[in-house]
Amino acid sequence: MRNFRLFTMVRRARLCSGRVAKALAALPVLAFAFAATPAAAHNVIVLNSGEATLSLIDLATRQVVGTVPTGKEPHHLMVTPDNTSLIVADSVSNNLLFVDPKSGQPQRRVEGIEDPYQLGFSPDRKWFVTAGLRLDRVDIYRYDGRDVTLSTRLPLAVMPSHMAFTRDSKTVFVTLQVSGELAAIDLATGALRWKMKVGAVPAGLWMTPNDQYVLVGMTGADYVAVVDWRNQKIVKTIFTGKGAHNFRSLNDGRHVAVSNRVASTISIVDETTLTNVGDITGLMPGPDDMELSADNRYLWVTFRFARHVGVIDLTTRKLVQTIPVGRSPHGIYFFDRAPVTAPNGT
Amino acid sequence: MLHSVLSNLDALVSAIQTALYVDVIQPLLFKFGMMDYDEDTYDALYWVIIGVFEVIAMYAVLRPLEALRPAERWTDRKAVRADVIYTWVTKLGILNLLFFFALQPWFDHLQGWLHLHGIATLDLDRLWPGVTTQPLVAFALYVVVLDFAGYWYHRGQHRFGVWWELHAVHHSQRQMSLWCDDRNHVLDDLLQMAFFAVIALGVGVAPSQFVMLVAVSNLMQSVQHANIRLDYGRVLERLIVSPAFHRRHHAVGYGHEGTVYGCNFGVIFPWWDMMFRSASWDRTIEPTGIRDQIASAGQPARDYGDGFVGQHWLALQRIAKRLCARRDGGGASSGGAPAV
Repeated sequence: MRNFRLFTMVRRARLCSGRVAKALAALPVLAFAFAATPAAAHNVIVLNSGEATLSLIDLATRQVVGTVPTGKEPHHLMVTPDNTSLIVADSVSNNLLFVDPKSGQPQRRVEGIEDPYQLGFSPDRKWFVTAGLRLDRVDIYRYDGRDVTLSTRLPLAVMPSHMAFTRDSKTVFVTLQVSGELAAIDLATGALRWKMKVGAVPAGLWMTPNDQYVLVGMTGADYVAVVDWRNQKIVKTIFTGKGAHNFRSLNDGRHVAVSNRVASTISIVDETTLTNVGDITGLMPGPDDMELSADNRYLWVTFRFARHVGVIDLTTRKLVQTIPVGRSPHGIYFFDRAPVTAPNGT
Repeated sequence: MLHSVLSNLDALVSAIQTALYVDVIQPLLFKFGMMDYDEDTYDALYWVIIGVFEVIAMYAVLRPLEALRPAERWTDRKAVRADVIYTWVTKLGILNLLFFFALQPWFDHLQGWLHLHGIATLDLDRLWPGVTTQPLVAFALYVVVLDFAGYWYHRGQHRFGVWWELHAVHHSQRQMSLWCDDRNHVLDDLLQMAFFAVIALGVGVAPSQFVMLVAVSNLMQSVQHANIRLDYGRVLERLIVSPAFHRRHHAVGYGHEGTVYGCNFGVIFPWWDMMFRSASWDRTIEPTGIRDQIASAGQPARDYGDGFVGQHWLALQRIAKRLCARRDGGGASSGGAPAV
């Protein structure tokens, strides 16, 4: 009974606050709703997890031109399949902020997406998946090209973080950071197919050509695990650097960059030979997410523990510029980029 | 000017945070297989460094003031030593660490359960989009809400016997000083953290803002406990709790009498005391502490302990005694007050 009363009170308060919000939102005084920043044609959009803002960097001048507040604890971002919006996932606010993928200016919010830490679209664009790192679950939504509808809510402990899809859009793989596992989930039924141990703090995932293997960045170790997912077996380890974390295709059909968050290096992995063919050193602390320029030359990277993003010239493999941003820069994106298309087509 | 100072300070703290994390803490996390706490530890470190700066600033500003305009003159400062330990335990984030490992998983479960059952948080900052969503406005809103909760938490400490015995650790300091604010029983601290975490969760405070709220509140409370003869004047005194206002709360008999009487419970704002008629504006300096620390006819003075461990242990003993007395149908008390 007591729970019911609490529930009713909270709902009433929520409804009330919703009405007030709607009424107030109509006031003209609220024209300045979001922090105003000059609209720019092409901005690099950097998500500062530690202070819940987007830093907007002019791609041409590489100067910070504005800051946009998001929600609470945003971590990852993802462009919509039609490239009309960039989705910022506010994990503690339980919502998604859609922003213009070129300028970074807010477009709309979608409420009721619980703890969206990581997010992704299936290759066939039918499914939208979020991983709730804090609430230990994976939510699968149907995507109709604009809106999402919850299909399955799957409790999945402990700390689901990154994800990757098979080319046929039947399976999504999710890493479980604390339990050190890789989980395979059937998208159509929302059922957990299997889980397997992969090692210490698995994070980023990457599918190799023809979906042969799934690569797992082992943040608690110094390698990328090569998983034969059909047989649920680790077939190889590729030593990259301490804190192997995330991936970004280099768009040459053969190589993928791996950020090593403890070693503060980026390794280049050959996806066909499954070997580390070189490390980029001399970086700032905590390289995390990466983005590649349209001409495949410049690799942008967020330095999680240094409040900067960096620009690496891939022809010389040298860090050529650093730009100060906000606390804990995490996700990074710009519209005029090389396709992220993985060898498996996702 | 202020923005520039804050910005430079922030840059300095960040530089220390990065160096300390990358060169010392992260390698340890990696070595001991704790990299799943990588980001949390890095973020928490910022606030630990802020805590250290806070102590340094507090000492640099308040200690000279204590020497220049003391509310009370003491022959020695031995009694303050234990409070210094309390302060460092708190400011170095050791209690937060305890909370993180002991209670945080429960809060995450609770939050997950609430969401799964469709019970959403209020998210006060979304009340007026564009206005309350501005970080500074949201921060101010949450300060007020949490301070209101803090007022009632403090009244609770002075209302319920077992709770009072924990809070008595704080009140048993008879030499109030800039170190005195953090002198609290660890169980009371954990209870307080849980209390505010539930409220923060309920009203939708962002975790980063919550830590900042706690830091600001702690700083203001350190000022209030300093041994300084200082009130803020007739107007400001009614806006923000001053050392004089809070000293009155610590005054034996005038500010509190264990669980039976109390005034000036406000943490940051005295508004709640004014609103609920518990404010006293009398500025007379009276002895602070707890009544039964002073021997009276036929009653020896009660020992509340001199050190960190002793004070904790004696509090537990008093609680046990009180619970036993309740079971036996009697009443135990401290501070000269009957059990409630």
